[in-house]
Amino acid sequence: MRGIRKVYPGVIAVDGVDLDLLPGEIHALVGENGAGKSTLANIAFGAVKPDAGTVEADGTVGLVHQHFELVGRLRVWHNIMLGREPRKGAVVDVGRARSRVAELAERNGLAIDPDALVEELPIGVQQRVELLRELEREPSVLLLDEPTAALAPAEIATLFATVVRLAKRGTAILVVTHKLQEVIDYTTRVSVMRHGKIVARYETANTSVDEIARAMVGGELPQVAQREPTGVAPCFAARDVSAGSEGTTVTGLSFEVHAGEIVGIAGVEGNGQTALADAIAGMIPYTGSIELVNGGPMIARYRASMGIVPQDRHHEGLVLNWSIVENAILGRQNLPGIRKGALTDWRAARADAAAIVERFDVRAASLDVTVKTLSGGNQQKLLVGRALIGDPRFVLAYQPTRGIDVGAAALVQSRLIEARNRGSAILLISFELDEILAIADRVLVMYRGKITGSFTGSEIDRGKIGRLMAGLS
Amino acid sequence: MSTGVSLMLTLAFLTLIKSVPIVYAALGGVISERAGVVNIGLEGMMTAGAFSAVVFTNLTGSPIIGLIAGIFFGAFLGFILGFAATFFKVDQIVAGVGINLVALGGAAYGLVLIFNQPGASPQVAQLGPEQLLPQITTGETALIVLGLLCAFGLNWFIYRTPWGLRVQACGENPRAVTDAGLDPLRLRLYSVIASGALAGLGGAFLSICEVNLYSDGMTAGRGFIALAAVIFGRWTPWGATGAAVFFGFFEALQYVLQGRISWLPSDAMQALPYLAALFAIAGLVGRVRAPAADGVPY
Amino acid sequence: MKVVLRLLAGPAGALLLAFVLAAVAMLIAGVNPVDGFSALIRGSLGGRRPIAETLVQTTALLFPALGVSLAFRAGLFNIGAEGQLLMGGLFAGAVGAHLAGPSWLTVVALLLLGMLGGGIWGGIAGWLRARFNASEIISTLMLNFIALSLAGYLVAGPLKSPLASGAETAPLLPNNGLPAFPSIGSLSFGDTRLTISILIAIATAIVLRFVFTRTVFGYELRAAGEAPEAARRSGINMPRMTLIALSLSGAVAGLGGAAIVTGVLHRFNTSLSPGYGYTAIAVALVGDLNPLWVCVAALGFGILEAGGLMMQADAGVPKDAIRVIEGLIILVLAARRYFATRATSAPI
Repeated sequence: MRGIRKVYPGVIAVDGVDLDLLPGEIHALVGENGAGKSTLANIAFGAVKPDAGTVEADGTVGLVHQHFELVGRLRVWHNIMLGREPRKGAVVDVGRARSRVAELAERNGLAIDPDALVEELPIGVQQRVELLRELEREPSVLLLDEPTAALAPAEIATLFATVVRLAKRGTAILVVTHKLQEVIDYTTRVSVMRHGKIVARYETANTSVDEIARAMVGGELPQVAQREPTGVAPCFAARDVSAGSEGTTVTGLSFEVHAGEIVGIAGVEGNGQTALADAIAGMIPYTGSIELVNGGPMIARYRASMGIVPQDRHHEGLVLNWSIVENAILGRQNLPGIRKGALTDWRAARADAAAIVERFDVRAASLDVTVKTLSGGNQQKLLVGRALIGDPRFVLAYQPTRGIDVGAAALVQSRLIEARNRGSAILLISFELDEILAIADRVLVMYRGKITGSFTGSEIDRGKIGRLMAGLS
Repeated sequence: MSTGVSLMLTLAFLTLIKSVPIVYAALGGVISERAGVVNIGLEGMMTAGAFSAVVFTNLTGSPIIGLIAGIFFGAFLGFILGFAATFFKVDQIVAGVGINLVALGGAAYGLVLIFNQPGASPQVAQLGPEQLLPQITTGETALIVLGLLCAFGLNWFIYRTPWGLRVQACGENPRAVTDAGLDPLRLRLYSVIASGALAGLGGAFLSICEVNLYSDGMTAGRGFIALAAVIFGRWTPWGATGAAVFFGFFEALQYVLQGRISWLPSDAMQALPYLAALFAIAGLVGRVRAPAADGVPY
Repeated sequence: MKVVLRLLAGPAGALLLAFVLAAVAMLIAGVNPVDGFSALIRGSLGGRRPIAETLVQTTALLFPALGVSLAFRAGLFNIGAEGQLLMGGLFAGAVGAHLAGPSWLTVVALLLLGMLGGGIWGGIAGWLRARFNASEIISTLMLNFIALSLAGYLVAGPLKSPLASGAETAPLLPNNGLPAFPSIGSLSFGDTRLTISILIAIATAIVLRFVFTRTVFGYELRAAGEAPEAARRSGINMPRMTLIALSLSGAVAGLGGAAIVTGVLHRFNTSLSPGYGYTAIAVALVGDLNPLWVCVAALGFGILEAGGLMMQADAGVPKDAIRVIEGLIILVLAARRYFATRATSAPI
């Protein structure tokens, strides 16, 4: 790729990038969220046309997306052969398609059932389908966008084993990732992107996680607030909670969160975390009990003492077409300070919004700009600010730093810690083990809807937790 | 033959006749929604088909030409909706409503412009035995059989052919289709055109086969009943056909019962098919799932 | 270029388009657009009587358009304004012939009855959507036809007027009609069809605007329409909101029906509305779902409706051309709708 440039309204996503991929190498493309890595990968694949620059490839290019682009309702063989279905006259030759898929899977050492319905497969297997779909075209270049985001440590090893095998056969591989340890473990070269430019290139053998991280951020990593000693009065308790249906369930969950404590729920995505979060938020029915100790059952009424940071800021948290002020009171519009009789007290709402913007460093031209125009990091800070501004006794934070830059993530984590120091009980659900290890006082591991491990303080051990996350003991 | 049996036979035959337009429109609805485009404009496409069929039959004296015209104009409106939905990415539902108004108004306007009589057109030649395979079948029967063939054909197309499978993918996850190197927008456009053609055919049946003229508003909401049939039939060709026949039954029932049961007023009977549709869409709770990308511009 | 396109895709563009299309429609009919437009203007604004008629049409459109806007803002497609209008008129007409009392009391009662009728009709669709997730697009439309059947049956049967030969209700007691529009200076409107209903409609628009911008209910309604999932998670009861929104939407449309019965017809029959409920959708879109702008849009369409008759009589342009123009306006505005707001949560 030479001189690639891509501009979106308001932001230069890619700014004059040159990148070479050699056959047989495993090249890592790293950078913070928003640095332009995914855009560059999509340009390399051909899904996005650059505004300037050229892309040349010696053969086909394949891309395995971060969020799979599969057709859930169709079968595995169909997804893999889409667009190149073998025919028998005017009809699809299902037999030939299935055997081709089986043969492809075997050649690459990936186990798959050609007849399975994709939507019924676990995420790790779905990724295999996506991978096979790309391999079917026999690409000379294979791009993987955040391939390990939804995988357990064991599955990650399997994936990279496949990747290494492909590289040995001469395929050029580009892995877009922010997981620096994997970069060190598996890749041959590293390119670091920041603000749309490539700011550093390394041979993996000659560099370290710290060096790469510094290049990513352009300086020292921002510091996160310190945890201070707090009391241990129980604040939140879940007892024998079962909830959820197809896709995400929890069974017989019991745990407590104390005031002034951050409990982190570690686990690979898809092990029931969403069911747990939805049950706590009152979005789905559940059996068992979920309570604020000395507060009664968690029902909407108690929103005053509960702050929720939902998983998906765009669809579950913010109204993109509304202003900061209007978003600042979403979920709080019935609280005594904001509601005056049947009317909304917009002056109080504005004051709230101003407080959030100030305390959570939301960078915006004014309080009246549409939230859609804010960057992901600022949107997330607004969301977290809204959850924390009322000094809630209990906070549920689900992936609070998903997809935002390091600076914003550090601020969010600091604010959570500060809330903890002030006595809030915080339940943190995150798919980034590093985040949990960084700020949680206690770690619970979730696997297949159950809590399989609990670690406090010095017990916290990355290796053990990793194994539990994968279902091993 | 006892009156009971002859009544049953009349009811059965009438059901078939009344179902035909709804079946065609419903099949159109299926292919459109499977491709991911919500087609609210079925009503308008039927109207266009009905009106143009009469115009062209009047013009040429041949109902066959009229039939073709009906298909063509239905497809044309389908093209407009499809184009607006895929390339302009408009709100498909609002656009559909717009199409309906355009068609309805256009037909009313055309009535005055072309025939100089508002409200209804003069009578035209009807699609009867003379036009098609003479001595073998009547026009109505031919179109009924054609309807069944279409249901067969659509079913086969969607589930067995590569293009049909790709259309399914378009409605579930168009991004996957793009990744496969195909153009989902193009596929969607063709599907909506096809749905318009089918609806137009249904409309033509109404105006030149079942009767022999066009009157203002003669489609009477059938395009929307067809949508209810699509949902009721879970977005499958045979399901939609069955549901369409179900609604057609109620329309036929209204005719048969009229005058026979004195305490049931005929006005109230007219509401039967609509009530049936209402109950149908209410009766399915959570078990139905539309194509995932249905209605979402890509 | 992009700016021009965006501008064109908005209400301004729609009106421009309407102008162009009207001219085309006239040309097709073999009419000189100048003659056509001058007839249009004369028929709608060329004097006290035409203006009165224009305002009558404006009012008839404004009520259902406000109802439709409300539903739209809540993320719901109400294409049943026609039926809700009819039911409102039916309720008012059925009772109006028998309700005796001081005028101000009975008239208000009749208008409220109209709201009740329309509200029930909208509520049925709302309930079906809330409880069964049944598409309100289909249900409101089906209810239109059912309303027509029901009203048709009632006015030909149980509610038939003993006085008239046609199918309609008995005329309202003289006390129960809306008072005429107040005189302005030397201009009096007592001999026209114009009543204070236009003032009521505008007042309704102002109330709605207030509700949308200042009340908590309005806030929650808008949230439900703009971001249904975020609204749900913020604690808003979505099924309840659906039910209330569609009921309210129907009530406003029903009020319009009652206004027509008490103001213009002084009785109820099924020809109450030549499609106001459908045109109202176009009006709502042109008004960008903002109650105050909807008033302006209703005026524009009122001019078209009133002037259209003159256009037909004088210049020979069939007034159905206007229906086509309305449809095309909706198509143009559909583009803007997508840019502006949420993905629809319609289940079909």
